[in-house]
Amino acid sequence: MSEAQLHFQYEDLEHQSDTALDGMWLFLAQEVLFFGALFFAWMLNRHFHPLGYHRAAQQTDLLIGSINTVLLITSSAVYAAGVGFIRLDDRRRLVQCCVITALLGLAFLGFKGLEWHEDLAKHMNPGRYFGLSGADAGGAQLFWVFYWVATVLHGVHMAVGIGLVAWLLHRVCKGAYSAAWHTPVEVVGLYWSFVDVVWLVLYPLIYLVGRAG
Amino acid sequence: MSHALGFATSGIKAAGIRNAEPDNYLTHETSLASWLLTTDHKRIAILYAISITFFFFMGGAAAALMRINLLTPDGAIVAPETYNRLFTWHGVVMVWFFLVPSIPVTLGNFIVPLMLGARDLAFPKINLMSWYLFMIGGTLTTAALFWGGLDTGWTFYTPLSSTYAKGHVVLAAFGIIMAGFSSIATGLNFIISIHRLRAPGMTFYRMPIFLWSIYSASVIYVLATPVLAMLLILLSFETFFRVGIFDPALGGDPLLFQHLFWFYSHPAVYIMILPGMGVVSEIIPAFSRKQLFGYKFVAWCSVSIAVIGFFVWTHHMFVAGVSVFSAIVFSLTSFAVAVPSAIKVFNWIGTMHKGYIHFDAPMIYALGFIALFTIGGLTGLWLATLAADVHLHDTYFVIAHFHFIMVGGMVSAYFAGLHYWWPKITGRMYPEMWGRLAALIIFFGFMLTFAPQFMLGYYGMPRRYATYPPEFQVLNVLSSAGAGVLAVGYLLPLGYLVWSLFRGARAPDNPWGATGLEWQTRSPPPVENFATTPVVTKGPYAYPTPAAVAARTT
Amino acid sequence: MRRIVRGAALVWLALAALMAVELGGSLARLGPGFSGLLLLPAAIMVLLVGLCFMRVRESGGLARFFALAAIFWLTVLLGLGSIDPLTRHDYSVDVTQYP
Repeated sequence: MSEAQLHFQYEDLEHQSDTALDGMWLFLAQEVLFFGALFFAWMLNRHFHPLGYHRAAQQTDLLIGSINTVLLITSSAVYAAGVGFIRLDDRRRLVQCCVITALLGLAFLGFKGLEWHEDLAKHMNPGRYFGLSGADAGGAQLFWVFYWVATVLHGVHMAVGIGLVAWLLHRVCKGAYSAAWHTPVEVVGLYWSFVDVVWLVLYPLIYLVGRAG
Repeated sequence: MSHALGFATSGIKAAGIRNAEPDNYLTHETSLASWLLTTDHKRIAILYAISITFFFFMGGAAAALMRINLLTPDGAIVAPETYNRLFTWHGVVMVWFFLVPSIPVTLGNFIVPLMLGARDLAFPKINLMSWYLFMIGGTLTTAALFWGGLDTGWTFYTPLSSTYAKGHVVLAAFGIIMAGFSSIATGLNFIISIHRLRAPGMTFYRMPIFLWSIYSASVIYVLATPVLAMLLILLSFETFFRVGIFDPALGGDPLLFQHLFWFYSHPAVYIMILPGMGVVSEIIPAFSRKQLFGYKFVAWCSVSIAVIGFFVWTHHMFVAGVSVFSAIVFSLTSFAVAVPSAIKVFNWIGTMHKGYIHFDAPMIYALGFIALFTIGGLTGLWLATLAADVHLHDTYFVIAHFHFIMVGGMVSAYFAGLHYWWPKITGRMYPEMWGRLAALIIFFGFMLTFAPQFMLGYYGMPRRYATYPPEFQVLNVLSSAGAGVLAVGYLLPLGYLVWSLFRGARAPDNPWGATGLEWQTRSPPPVENFATTPVVTKGPYAYPTPAAVAARTT
Repeated sequence: MRRIVRGAALVWLALAALMAVELGGSLARLGPGFSGLLLLPAAIMVLLVGLCFMRVRESGGLARFFALAAIFWLTVLLGLGSIDPLTRHDYSVDVTQYP
């Protein structure tokens, strides 16, 4: 059973804990601008190529996209419950929540891989061999560039998140966390929910807005 | 020497040693591993200082070759393709591997925890990781520059960089992304440390301006750099997969590239100048023996520059094809961003007024900063004026403008801070006469190099050209001669500072009689910075008040 | 324990409902003018996750300050950045042949 280590530059554990959470929030602020640049590119291109976007969005798989959204929302809810449990010193339920969260994350990536396979089969890879042609193909290509960059980067962030949850599981099972000290659980929770937030923005941008137009 | 701030005395100081060298951060452990695996902010600052010095001279070598080439109208030593690689090399290295990190990673890393009264930064391991990211990035980009070099200019405009460039654009871009992640980590560390690790009694308004400036620069590090990272990822995607995100021939928009590029790169120049202003705000009060004039104004102007600096980026694109409406909006915001800088200049002058001015080397550099930065900043307003910019864009006027600020301003401030805190960092005094001489040589060499370039730009000589019409030769020769003087000026400190490490006089704890928590500990500081946590009871520049100064008889 | 599960489930239900709204809105093919409105339920979902799962209200003032700063700067990028594309004419051509 290991107690939390107080690092030398902090006065007490609460000081250290608050600082760690602040650090993660600031890191997430930076991530907002990272994906924000991509949103700006989406906006500018949609403004100039609305028809191309409409055409391209028809090729996205709404079913998989919607399933993935539900999976992520659920994982965020489960993990948040897990944080609530460890605050009450319930390590067992935290473990259960972490396992479910990680499994939901893996399911998300699984469906995503399936979807990518499908997209490549339809030749939705921008470039010389793009699957659509004709009047709005250029705009459609720009949509699909956004799609690939956004989903791959989001997928990478998801993978990192799953890795963090797995690391947490390892630590919880060794008894590292309790009601008195569980800051890493909260910090990872912030990151996980943020990855969910990014997807909540990507979902309409990819699957819904183009379809509606 | 009176202690201006309340301070719980260090037991080590009370032991009163001057001959027996007390243990300090340099002598504590000396193995290579203890340096390469250190998490001590002071050692990381030294690692960074060595790295950026290397990059500074590498970028400077490229500049030297460029200026030699421009001695004759037909290009004296290199062909135009090579010249393109030289100015790209100069820009990329100087911007991302010298100027953007510069003061924050060296003086900032060393001094910020000391000024806060803290034992280290908030996240020491992330600090070390940031240095390794920086070195990896530097290695990758340097490799790209050497393997045939890049000819795109440091601005990587598309479609040149994605479709027509010769060289390793993606490799260089990846190196810059690594350096970008390094700077995000540094900025995050500073912001959190300033919020969470201030000594008891140190309210925000008792912080030295250097901390306000580092904080403001860190905001830009954290919020602007990710946009550049995403842009370089998109550029790599376009280059690899031959798609037209930014290439108009393939359906893309080159202005999209420029918007995202300048959204980062304009605030980036404020990353470069704000810490310099912070250093100057420490030196002017110290060497005028007077309180900083208008402390709160200077503090909030630092923040304003960082914030308003995000609203002006399209002024780099006035002739690129943006709408006139957009150009007008950004011209107005560009005028607005000049105001806080001007307020600071007036406050520095107000600080010096009726002070006791000591012309030590740091002060000469700081005074040079004020003069050169003011000239550079004012010429920025001409460029912000739409009609004038149509004529001046992409000419040597722009080059002179930003070099006055970045070299005349920023590099002078870096040298000012280096000399000011050298006794604290190394425990040695540099030779004062050589310091003053180098400062003067740098000032005059700089003026000789860049003042003619304002004229050249006004007369219409474009930038990034290896050759020029013969009527511009006189001004070009003057500029190149100045570059030679400047080179001497920059090599001198390299010489005498290294010399001082071995033969310099041992420095006392507070050689300048300055205020600030960093001067309340030993030179060089012990590993843990302070034996006991200092307590702050007064404001940061508790030099004699103006009333006491007025009552003075000289 | 029951309270925690109930709290999370309630937020989940709200999120699912909002997702249904935006999905329905998209499938209803309201037309290009209204497609921007689809981002409204998404924004509310983001707010819910931030407030409830990320507990931004509970966190200290500094965390809230960082969250607000992120939104502010995103607005600057998207807002100020839109001025140019919204006020100029685009002359790009669709790709027809690869070089």
